[in-house]
Amino acid sequence: MKIAAIIAATLVPLSAQWLHYPTPGIPRTADGKANLSAPAPKTAEGKPDLSGIWRATEDKYFRDLTFGGPPAPMLPWAEKLFKERKENLEKGHPSERCLGHGVTDYDTLGTLRRIVQTPTMIAFLFEGYNHYRQIFMDGRPLPKPTQPSYMGYSIGRWEGEALVVETNGLNNEGWLDMDGHPQTESTHITERFRRPDFGHMELELIIDDPAAYTKTWSAKVPIVYVPDEEVIEDICENEKDFVHLVGK
Amino acid sequence: MKCFILAAVAISAPLSAQWLHYPTPGIPRTADGKPNLTAPAPKTPDGKPDLSGIWTRTNNPNYFFNLTADADEAPMLPSAAALYKQRLAALQKGHPSERCVGHGPTDYATLGQPRRIIQMPQMIAILYESYNHFRQIFLDGRPLPPVTQPAYMGYSVGHWDGDTLVVETTGLDDRGWLDMNGHPQTETTKITERYRRRDFGHMDLQLIIEDPNAYSKPWGVNLALDYFADEDMIEMMCENEKDFGHMVGK
Repeated sequence: MKIAAIIAATLVPLSAQWLHYPTPGIPRTADGKANLSAPAPKTAEGKPDLSGIWRATEDKYFRDLTFGGPPAPMLPWAEKLFKERKENLEKGHPSERCLGHGVTDYDTLGTLRRIVQTPTMIAFLFEGYNHYRQIFMDGRPLPKPTQPSYMGYSIGRWEGEALVVETNGLNNEGWLDMDGHPQTESTHITERFRRPDFGHMELELIIDDPAAYTKTWSAKVPIVYVPDEEVIEDICENEKDFVHLVGK
Repeated sequence: MKCFILAAVAISAPLSAQWLHYPTPGIPRTADGKPNLTAPAPKTPDGKPDLSGIWTRTNNPNYFFNLTADADEAPMLPSAAALYKQRLAALQKGHPSERCVGHGPTDYATLGQPRRIIQMPQMIAILYESYNHFRQIFLDGRPLPPVTQPAYMGYSVGHWDGDTLVVETTGLDDRGWLDMNGHPQTETTKITERYRRRDFGHMDLQLIIEDPNAYSKPWGVNLALDYFADEDMIEMMCENEKDFGHMVGK
């Protein structure tokens, strides 16, 4: 777990050791190593199977979702809030109160998440905070948001080989990244997941929020398969880390 | 979920409280469109009972507070009995849930709030509404590993014994409590869960506790779980210490 430094910077892992157990049933090369360039697997229904343990390759997008691209097209109030948060060195991020992350910052986090895929639902099991997220694949529409939440409400569908997930019902308290790009109750997030081969996934995150941004903007985040490892319990114990945050 | 909100409020601060209603697709229904909870239990394509769906614990709500609520007291060794007495006297103060750490396998099992079981051939995941926590149960035949890092949820493997799913858990943390009253759990506690889905809407869950360091013999409790049709789980994050100040304790 080389990315332990990232975790340490954002929360207190209650446990830090890793369990190694050979992932059963994955493609392997002649020397027994996971074959990460093997073809992507399919489900019994012929859809791409995204199941398995994954992580973002680096934490740059976790820090700043606009990494490597132009600044987000923020409206003045959003820009002001973003500047305040950034100058305050991330103090105030929900993770410091054990509330964890939301859609975008869990997606970009370098710690592990297990994708559990069934025909009618996909669940993400995040090592960080021992939190999960549900994505309904049963054709239901996005509901009218009645109770904004950190994870929002997510529905997914297949567009060819891409899993397209749409999320609304987010709250104003969540941050899109650690630097503090604002999220609001009208933020709509679209995620496009494509697994080109066994070991790699391309994720495009598209942010749409007329209340905070002048136009739609997006980020491309590389995600890699993590073989022969497990998602361990990493429960956040409140305010153990809070006192160490610097801020201003 | 009005009846369970009370229990939740007593132990944590739910950040949201409204319920989403969406007809559960693909479940058996009676002529009037209501879920047919006495229809046969479904099977997976490989012929195993399929436990998938949202479930709530519906028999004695006091099990959450005291696993032995309607049975003889647990056969505690003197050290465990002393600790239990101390916790009981402190009115549950010190339970991990007050620090947002949540629950373990037994107190999530006895909690009245919904949990979703997602069953696949090699793994079962249980998603708990409470604390937005999850738990993994490996069905791929792996053995229980030597305990290297005790955890609140422990490490769980499952196998099928006929139509019963048998889940064994070790690797538990001695900071976890088996119930709100404080029956001790230690790093040598082994929990066995036996899940049997009698019909579409009903599941029996037997919990068996073994721990030679805390109890003189195995003991347990029988729980009843009901299928929770046409509802969704909502997000219920624990925000630290919002509730802490309201805990009484001594």
